[in-house]
Amino acid sequence: MTERTADAPETDASARRRLVRERYGDLARTDEGCCNGTEGSDDGTDAQSLSVGYERDDLERAPAGANLGLGCGNPVAISALEPGETVLDLGSGGGFDCFLAADEVGPDGRVIGVDMTPEMLERARANAAESGTDTVEFRLGEIEHLPVADASVDVIISNCVLNLSPSKPQVFAEAWRVLRPGGRLSISDLIATEPLPERVRTDPDLVGGCIGGAATADDLEHWLEGCGFESVRIVEDREWEATHDGAAVPVVSARIEARKPTAR
Amino acid sequence: MNESLLEILRCPLDKAELTLEDAEYDGDEIVSGTLVCTECGERYPIEDGIPNLLPPDMREGTPA
Repeated sequence: MTERTADAPETDASARRRLVRERYGDLARTDEGCCNGTEGSDDGTDAQSLSVGYERDDLERAPAGANLGLGCGNPVAISALEPGETVLDLGSGGGFDCFLAADEVGPDGRVIGVDMTPEMLERARANAAESGTDTVEFRLGEIEHLPVADASVDVIISNCVLNLSPSKPQVFAEAWRVLRPGGRLSISDLIATEPLPERVRTDPDLVGGCIGGAATADDLEHWLEGCGFESVRIVEDREWEATHDGAAVPVVSARIEARKPTAR
Repeated sequence: MNESLLEILRCPLDKAELTLEDAEYDGDEIVSGTLVCTECGERYPIEDGIPNLLPPDMREGTPA
């Protein structure tokens, strides 16, 4: 029986949320890269995004400034969006994935971005105004307490955010609640290939940098299936460079997919 | 925010419907106002077009 990791009752959950919010507020203001030390230049951001799975065309479709280079995958690409669908982005940041999703779901679809960092939402809203799209909306909220009606969303996407939550099972329970029957979850995130040691899980820099809070695939699967999700698939995507005190931290980027059954 | 999105907005605490008060518009967009929970009465401000639907204990430290 292995101990379940990364749900962090040992670190104070609200302190952790504050840490994350402050860090990402600063990132929104300064354009600094987060997850793998990219510099704040457009070239650095573009290179980071291309390296995690975006196409050059994706970078040109979204408003300038929407992409902060903070992702670890391309959840829109794996979510197979259909025209007319309603999409919810957990931790929408500058709104980059929301704008790409809006392109896919078209004028009859809609995209809602939820983020708990006011500075990020200000950027996202400015980007929405610039893009002229009226199918993308942003709101300040917590992914553990989604301000969204039951069974109102077709697809949930999220990019390198779930790891930051101190209450991952609660995020999945909320995702389940707001998804329509048959709705799907399509998440990119960093996962731990073996349980992370306590000193990594509690290091504020590693937690804020998307490493310390990475859960194992076993834990994620256990939590998703516990909510009732089916067709749970967790596929390792790419190696991820992370160190703590000179030692490598065993994290990789991964795609996390699941479906809410049509009938129970 | 767009008024049509109100229909799927809910109180983050009890998931009850919200009503809009004191709305100010810019074209079709609601730029400011207050969303009030029909169940618990909690009030959520809309500022610069963004509804602040953080739970009250998380709202401290954000522009309210």
